[in-house]
Amino acid sequence: MRRLKGAVAPYLLILPGGLWLVVFFAVPLVYMASVSLMTGNLIDGFEQTWHWRNYTDGLDVYGDKFVRSLWYGLIATVACIALAYPAAYWIAFRAGRHKSTWLFMLLLPFFVSFVLRTIAWKLVLTDQGPVLGPLKSWHLLPKDFHVLDSGFAVVSGLTYNFLPFMVLPIYVALERVDHRVVEAAYDLYAGRFAAFRRVVLPLSLPGVFAGVIMTFVPVTSDYVNASVLGGPDNTMIGNVIQTEYFTNSEYATASALSFTLMALLLLGIFAYARALGTKDVLEAAGR
Amino acid sequence: MDRYDPALRRGLTSRRNVLRLMGASAAALAASACSIPGQGGRGDLTQAQIDAFWKGRTGKGSLNWANWPGYMQDDHASIKAFTKDTGVEVNYKEVIQEASDWFGKVQAPLAAGQSIGFDLMVVTNGIQTSKMIELGYLAPLDHSRLPNFDKYAAAKYKDPAFDPGNTYTIPYESGITGIAYNTKYVKEEIDSIAQLFDPKYKGKVGMMGDSQELGNFGLFAIGVDPEKSTPKDWASAARKLREQRDSRIVRKYYDQGYIDAVAKGDVWLTMAWSGDVYSLANDDVKFVVPKEGGTLWTDLMMIPKPAGNPVDALTLMNWLYEPAHNAPLTEFINYITPVPATRQYVLADAAKATGDDKADLERLASSPLVFPSEADMARLRNFRVLSQQEEPQYQKVFTPIVQGS
Amino acid sequence: MTETSPAPVRDDPEGTPAAVPAIELAGVRKSFQAYGETVHAVRDIDLTVHEGEFFSLLGPSGCGKTTTMRMIAGFEDPTEGAVYLHGEDVTGVPANKRDVNMVFQSYALFPHMSVFDNVAFGLRRRGVDKAETRKRVGAMLEIVDLTGREKRRPSELSGGQQQRVALARALVNRPRALLLDEPLGALDLKLRQAMQVELKRIQREVGITFVYVTHDQGEALTMSDRIAVMNDGGIEQLDTPRAIYERPASRFVAGFIGTSNLITGQITAVGGDGAEIGYGEGRIVVPLNGASRAVGDTVELTVRPEKIVIGGERPDRGSYTSATVAEVVYLGTSTSYLVTTAAGDDVTVFVQNATNADDIAERGSRVWLSWEPRHSYAIGTA
Repeated sequence: MRRLKGAVAPYLLILPGGLWLVVFFAVPLVYMASVSLMTGNLIDGFEQTWHWRNYTDGLDVYGDKFVRSLWYGLIATVACIALAYPAAYWIAFRAGRHKSTWLFMLLLPFFVSFVLRTIAWKLVLTDQGPVLGPLKSWHLLPKDFHVLDSGFAVVSGLTYNFLPFMVLPIYVALERVDHRVVEAAYDLYAGRFAAFRRVVLPLSLPGVFAGVIMTFVPVTSDYVNASVLGGPDNTMIGNVIQTEYFTNSEYATASALSFTLMALLLLGIFAYARALGTKDVLEAAGR
Repeated sequence: MDRYDPALRRGLTSRRNVLRLMGASAAALAASACSIPGQGGRGDLTQAQIDAFWKGRTGKGSLNWANWPGYMQDDHASIKAFTKDTGVEVNYKEVIQEASDWFGKVQAPLAAGQSIGFDLMVVTNGIQTSKMIELGYLAPLDHSRLPNFDKYAAAKYKDPAFDPGNTYTIPYESGITGIAYNTKYVKEEIDSIAQLFDPKYKGKVGMMGDSQELGNFGLFAIGVDPEKSTPKDWASAARKLREQRDSRIVRKYYDQGYIDAVAKGDVWLTMAWSGDVYSLANDDVKFVVPKEGGTLWTDLMMIPKPAGNPVDALTLMNWLYEPAHNAPLTEFINYITPVPATRQYVLADAAKATGDDKADLERLASSPLVFPSEADMARLRNFRVLSQQEEPQYQKVFTPIVQGS
Repeated sequence: MTETSPAPVRDDPEGTPAAVPAIELAGVRKSFQAYGETVHAVRDIDLTVHEGEFFSLLGPSGCGKTTTMRMIAGFEDPTEGAVYLHGEDVTGVPANKRDVNMVFQSYALFPHMSVFDNVAFGLRRRGVDKAETRKRVGAMLEIVDLTGREKRRPSELSGGQQQRVALARALVNRPRALLLDEPLGALDLKLRQAMQVELKRIQREVGITFVYVTHDQGEALTMSDRIAVMNDGGIEQLDTPRAIYERPASRFVAGFIGTSNLITGQITAVGGDGAEIGYGEGRIVVPLNGASRAVGDTVELTVRPEKIVIGGERPDRGSYTSATVAEVVYLGTSTSYLVTTAAGDDVTVFVQNATNADDIAERGSRVWLSWEPRHSYAIGTA
C-alpha cells in the first residue's frame, strides 16, 4: 500500500498542472483545429466539412501578412537582444548590491498599462512633438517625415514591449555565470574581450536562446502594436486574425490562420533550436 | 480634464481588454460541440410573443448596466438620482470599448441562453446590433413601460430601419460621423468628402478603420446614399478607397486615436465623431457635416434576453427619457441626445450657473455638434442595414482596405 | 608587460642569496571600506617565496590568506606596498598579464568546454600554435593521469578528476608560480589524502613554485616546504612545518597547529638549560632556548599530546604532574585521553595502541603525566 502511494505521488503532483493544460490548452486547441476545417457563418451555423482550403486560402490571401509578421518578429527579436544583452550584463556584473533595484527599474514601465505607455509614445513621437519637431525646424529631417504609423514605429513598439522577456532570461543566465570561472579566464591570459567572447557569452547563450523563444513567438503574433503604431502598410497577421474573429465572426478562417501561424512559428523555433540550441555551438563559441 | 475624459478614456481602455476577451472566447468556443449551430431568423416577433416574454415579470429593485467609458458622470450623479427616484439599485460597469470586441465576448453565452451578468447594455447600431437582433439575443421591449420614449424621443430616432418599431432598442446617445480638420494646417474651407481624397493632402488624411464607417464615406464619395447602396456600389466605393490608400493619401485607419492625431497635426483632416471634436474644445479643430452627407450613428440601449432584471432595465430606460433627467447626462457626455427637449433644461441650467460653468453650458446648448441644426440633420444618413447574406459580402469588400490588402 | 623595477635587495637567511625570489610581497596592505569603516583584510605583510618552493598560507577563514593570494594573482591590487614576481614589480598589472596561474577553490572549470579545451584555453589565448598546443595538452593530461578523457565535459568527471583538470589547465602554461586556493577543500578525506601525495609528486616533477592556500593545518604540514601562518590579516609565524609545529611563535599558532596543550605557570627557578615551574604536586622544566626569563615571570608553554606519557607511578625526572582522567576516546591507531591536571589545566594525551590491548587508565582514575623537557616549548622563546 505504502509503495503504491509512493508510485502514484509523482503523478498526483502533475495532476493540477496537467488538468489545467488539458482544459485550457489541449481542449481549445483540438477544438480550434476542428473549427479551422469548418465552413459556414454565424447566422447559419458552422459545419464540419474538412475544408482544407481554409488553410490554402488563408495563405493565398494573407501570405504577405505572414511574411511581414515573421520579418517584423525577426527584426524586433534581434533588436531586443541588442538592447537587452548589455543591460542584463551591466545589471548582473556591474550593479553590485543594487541589482534588484536596477532590475525593478527596468521592469517598472511594464507595470503600467500597455495602452498608457503607447499613448505616451504617441505624444513623444508625434510629427511636431518634442523629438521630431526640433529636428524638423533645424532642417535635419524633411518636413513630412514621420515615425508614427510606420513599420519603424511598429517594430520599435514591439521591441520595447517585449524587452523584459529578453532581459530576464539573459539576466538569469548571466547571473548564474560563476564569477570564479570568469576570473579563471582572466588568469589564463584572456583579456576582457576574450573572457567575454570565450566564457561569458557562451555560458549566457542558453538565456539568449530562451529569450528569443519568449520574444519571437509573441512578437510575431502581436496585433496591438501594429494597430496602434502602424499605418495601412503595417498590418500584421495578428490584426487579420483579430478582425476575422471579432469583426467578421469568421471563426473557421480565424482558426485556420492561427494554426498556420502556429505552424510557422514552431517551424522557425525548431530550425533555430537545431541550428543554435546544441551543446556544440556553446563549445565552438568557447574555443 | 472632465471635458477630455470620454474620448481619452475610451482610447485608454479600448485595447486593454482585448487580450482577456480572446481567452474568454476561446474557452467559450471550446464549450460547444463539433459544429456550431446557426441561430439566424429569430428577429421577427409577434405582439403575442412580446407579451409572453414579459408576462409575470416584475421589478426586482436592482440591475446591472454595461456601458462605454465616459458615458456617465464620474460621480454617477444620474444613477444616484435614479436610485433615489425609484429605489432601484444600479451596478454600473464601463466594460464596453468596441462593439465588435463586446460582441465577441458576449456571443457565446448569449448563444447558449446564459446570462452575461448584465441587464442593460449600450451598443452602437451597426453590424453587431443587427446580428444580435437577428440571432435572437435581445429581449423585445415592452413599450407600455416606455411612455417617455414615445413622448420625448425625436422623430429621427423612432422606427429606424435597423430596428423597425424600436422592437429591441432605444437610443442612449448618438453622434455624427463627419470630417474634422485642423485649421492650422488646412488653409481652405473643408466642406466635402472629396477633399479627403485630394492628393495635396497626401499622408495627412485619417480614415476610420471600422468597415461600415469607412464604407459609408466611400459611398458618399461616389455619390451614393449608404443606406440605399447595392453590392455593386460597394465595389466601386472600395475601388475609390483603395485608390486613396494606394496613392498614400491615407496616413492611418483609426479606431480611436484620430482626435489626438488631428489635434497635434499628425493628420490634417480626418473622419471624426462629433462628440470627440466637441470634447476636444480646441479652436483650431473644426467639425463639418460634408455636403455629400454624414452619417448619424446611435448608441442603443438593449436588454440581453437572458437578463435577470429586465423590468428594472425598462424602468431605467424610461426614466432617462424624461428631459429633466436627461439634461445632466447630456451636459457631461456632449454627444447628441435623442431627447431634444433636454436643450431647455440645459439653457435653464446655464442661466443658473456662473463663470466657466455658465460659458460651458451655453456653448453646449448652442453647439451644432450636440444640438444639430435642421439643415445638418437633413444631410445625415443612416447606416445601411445589412442582411445576414450581405454582411460577410460587405466585410469582404471593405476590411481588406484597412488591412492593406 | 608594464614598467619594471628591480626588487629591493633584502637579506635572506635561508635561501641562496644569488637567486631572485619567485614571489615577494613588500609591505603589502589591503583595506576595504565597509559600512563607513576601514577594514584591513591584509596588514603590512612582507614575505618571500623561493623558486621551486612549496609554500603554504595557512590560517582560519577570514585571516587574509585568500586576499593575499589574489593580490599575487592580480585579481586585487594592494592598497599599499608592492608585489614582485621574479624581481619584477607587477603591482597594478592585471591577472591576464601575470605569469602566474591559479587553481581555484571548486576549480572554476569552464563548464561549456571539454577537458581538452579547458586545458588548452591558456595556450590558445597566448597564441601557441595548434600542434604545440595539442602536444603540450596531451603531455599535461598524461601527468595528471587523464589521458583518454579529453572529450569529456567537466560535469562528467569525478571531483578528483575535475581537480586534476584544474591543475593541468594551470600547469600547462608553465607559469613562474602556481597559486592554489584550497584546491582540495571539496574532496572527501581519502581522496584528499591521495591528492596531497599526488600534488607533491607533480610539483617535484614540474619544478614550479607552488603557493598553497589552506585552512587545513594537516595539509599544510604534510606538503609544504615553508608555511606562513596568518591571523587577522597578518603573519603570525613563517617557518618550516617542523619549526611551526614544535616551536609555535604565539599562542595562536600553538592553538591552530595540531592539538596543543597549553600550560601556564610561574617560573620558580632558572637554570643553565631552562626554567623550572612549580606545578601542583609535580614540576615542569622547559628550555628557554637562550631567551632571558626571570624567577616570578609567567610563561605559557606547549606540549604536544603525543609527547606525554601516562603512568601510575610518580616519575622522578623530567616534567611531571598528577592528573585525573576525564574522558577516554578510542581512535583506532591511538587512544586519546582528556585529563585534568592537579593545577586545573585540561590536557590531551595521545597514546599509540601499539602493544597494549587494554586502556591504560579508566575514566575517573588518578594518573601521573610526564614528558621530556625538550618536548615542551615556552612560547616566545624561538
